[in-house]
Amino acid sequence: MKVLKRKPELCIACHACESACSTTWFKEDNAEKSCIRIKEGEKENVIVSCTQCGECIDVCPVQAITRDKNGIVRINKSICVGCFICVGFCPELAMFMNDEYIEPFKCVACGQCAKQCPTEAISIEQE
Amino acid sequence: MDMIKLNNRDYEWEEGLTVRRLLQKETFTYPRLIVKINNVLVPDEEFESTVIRDGDDVKVIHLLAGG
Amino acid sequence: MNIEKLKSAHKLLKEYKYELGKIERGYTNRTLYINLGDNTIKEKTVTQLMKDKFIGGKGFGLYYLWNAVTPDTKWNSPENEIVIASGPVGGITQYPGSGKSLVCSLSPLTGMPMDSNVGGYFGPLLKFSGFDALELQGKADKDVIVFIDGNSGTIRIEEAPEEAIDSHILGEQLTEMYAENEEDKRNISVVSAGSAANNAYIGLLNFTFYDVRRKQIRLKQAGRGGIGTVFRDKKIKALVVKFAGVKGNLNNPADQSSINKAGIKLHKEIHDLDDKQNRMRQVGTANIIEVMDQYDLLPTHNYKFGGHPDTYKISSKVFTSMITQNTPDGCWYGCSMSCAKAVDRFELKTGPYKGQKVIVDGPEYENAAGLGSNCGIFDPYAILELNFYCDTYAVDTISYGTLTAFLMECYENGIINKEITGGLELNFGNSSASLEMLHQMARGEGFGKLAGLGIRNLKRIFVEQYGADPVFLNDIGMEQKGLEFSEYMPKESLAQQGGYGLTNKGPQHDEAWLIFMDMVNNQIPTFEDKAEALHYFPMFRTWFGLNGLCKLPWNDIAPADNKLTEEPAKIPDHVQNYVDIFNGVTGKKIDKNELIVQSERVYNFQRIFNIRMGYGKRIHDAIPYRAMGPVTAEEYLSRQERYDKQLKELVGFNPEGKTTEEKMAALRAYRKDQYEKLTDAVYKRRGWTMDGVPTVEHLKAIGMDLPELVEVVKKHL
Repeated sequence: MKVLKRKPELCIACHACESACSTTWFKEDNAEKSCIRIKEGEKENVIVSCTQCGECIDVCPVQAITRDKNGIVRINKSICVGCFICVGFCPELAMFMNDEYIEPFKCVACGQCAKQCPTEAISIEQE
Repeated sequence: MDMIKLNNRDYEWEEGLTVRRLLQKETFTYPRLIVKINNVLVPDEEFESTVIRDGDDVKVIHLLAGG
Repeated sequence: MNIEKLKSAHKLLKEYKYELGKIERGYTNRTLYINLGDNTIKEKTVTQLMKDKFIGGKGFGLYYLWNAVTPDTKWNSPENEIVIASGPVGGITQYPGSGKSLVCSLSPLTGMPMDSNVGGYFGPLLKFSGFDALELQGKADKDVIVFIDGNSGTIRIEEAPEEAIDSHILGEQLTEMYAENEEDKRNISVVSAGSAANNAYIGLLNFTFYDVRRKQIRLKQAGRGGIGTVFRDKKIKALVVKFAGVKGNLNNPADQSSINKAGIKLHKEIHDLDDKQNRMRQVGTANIIEVMDQYDLLPTHNYKFGGHPDTYKISSKVFTSMITQNTPDGCWYGCSMSCAKAVDRFELKTGPYKGQKVIVDGPEYENAAGLGSNCGIFDPYAILELNFYCDTYAVDTISYGTLTAFLMECYENGIINKEITGGLELNFGNSSASLEMLHQMARGEGFGKLAGLGIRNLKRIFVEQYGADPVFLNDIGMEQKGLEFSEYMPKESLAQQGGYGLTNKGPQHDEAWLIFMDMVNNQIPTFEDKAEALHYFPMFRTWFGLNGLCKLPWNDIAPADNKLTEEPAKIPDHVQNYVDIFNGVTGKKIDKNELIVQSERVYNFQRIFNIRMGYGKRIHDAIPYRAMGPVTAEEYLSRQERYDKQLKELVGFNPEGKTTEEKMAALRAYRKDQYEKLTDAVYKRRGWTMDGVPTVEHLKAIGMDLPELVEVVKKHL
């Protein structure tokens, strides 16, 4: 399955990935609407994004979250009732929401961010 | 005097009485406890190592309010 | 099952079309009234007064009930109503525990207004269909179903002769019948009773939700006070609501963001801490079975004792192994606490469904304690079987457990015998006899039918017909106001005696649960301290019922830093969450103090409602001595060291050389006096006279001096 691989030691916190993601999915350059987040640290930056582990699938009360045939965990927004349990229960804190929308959103390993990363800190790999 | 206060009631003290031992003696088995000695909070992970001294004011507050 | 055949037997009595509504800040501003006697269906407007003074939920239920009845109305009078309501916060999906329905009616057990809260989807779907509350009045001639289609704006009353009465079948039949396809089933909620509610006064209502993983309905219970009995007396077979299109913002809240924030914070807390705290996701409320036993609080043998060597056989570990794990069992969307539990493919060994493999919704703590230990039954399979049949027959497990325990003590004392019970050997521990009595209750036969009348009626019958000693029966019959006690041993906690006794609807633990604060923690030593707790906690907990909320996510999880707060028992951080979500939905600006005043208004209203019905005074707040201390020498001797010590240290009575009877008498006098002193202090704190009547000054102070209330209290001041 496709998954976004992270090498935080290479991250220079330029935040280009956040811009690429939010522009791709929400047509605006806004880190608050990105499915990947860079947390700047003293020693090392932290790259927060989905590992496709699927714990959110089990906690969704309406089965709106499923794994597709490529192994990507996806949210069906028409079924989702906006409870955000998945946001609180994500072990990576990589299920995101924004008050403008009543459904959460997450990385589907589309790879747009990786294309913009100048240091190859993130890449799409097959597992 | 060999006495301490446990939740404001007199309680017999013994040499080397740890928080853990006190909880065992009283069968305080409930997992959500707030333990304070002389009004200072004792973290859960220090129950084993914390020794109660003679005359201490010990509070073991159970946080439980029904089903 | 042949759904088409069942459906074709339906006869349409009335169809009503309505304009779909829009929810504004938690209110549809409209309620639905249905009279089953003449098939009237009409809409009512929610007034500003209702919203200001009664908020919603059981506030609306009690308000409508007050207007519907007179002091002469009985539970089975046609004008008695069943009112079902969510509340302004109800139906949000982000904060755990936001899907409760509140059900109000005059109770067959108490003759007073009863309120019972229940999970399942009905309340929120009713609101999304356009109604803040549903009033049911009158009685149908033949069994009817009321169907509300919240998408097309249609309400139908249909005669329904052929469906089952028992809920586990009826719920499935109606879900199947009214859903267009498998996907549509989640949009349906059914309210139904069961065959025992045709006879017993302890009938309950089951509310369904559709479990999308199991592909089966689940049942949640509005258990207390016999409202299912009223439902069947009205010849209602079921209520069905259908609404497709649930989203997280249908309440049209003033500030969605603050609700999201509070909800996600609590989800995260539950995710991080529940495993270390109460294990609500793994075990549910059954987590406290062994805790209660270890602290001498688990009622055994009709509340004689607080523990038993066999408790390990029904501990939470045993039930955990029987519960199907790793399924999200929230009874409304967004409840990450997910305390609902189920045992799948449980094979029944008795009764009409013997041999069938069923889902048992449970076990809850109350069921294990009431059906189990209190009756001396320590067989987990028997408890699950009793649990299942109580639910599907519509029997309140708490009342059933407590009254069965009472009957067992009567039987062992020779007050009743095999001749009277029709052969049932009601010794403590006899699970077969308990099951057979339950089946009789459902069939409306034999001793089981009699038992279903509840402890208050049974005491009277045993005295009148079998010459029983009324003093002893009043001591051991664990009921007050006509309602059976719930399953906690209150003997060593004066505050909890008040928590049970000084309540509006009878001895339940919906209002206050102070045993640990009082008995173990010794945090409320004086009468004034106890009175303060018996003011704050009942008021705080009343508020859940005004809003369509569940109590559990308030304090069955606590933030990691809760122990550093000033008043950990209140869980201050969560109180603030409730203020935030209420303001977030309604756009109002309440604080934690105004929250309490909101409750006080409805709480005092309910007290005055009781007075209006001829109850609600000090005399009605007395409790049986079994709740306060040892009635029998057996009980005294089992905890002799404790009682002797108390006599010496608290009573100033030297137990040495005294007989057990003398010591019991001294302890009894002391404890009864303590309860009276507590009652004085609590009435004072609540703004009531020493006879338990809210004063006009107090009603003015809380903004509840409505003319109809002042008129009632004035007669009693």
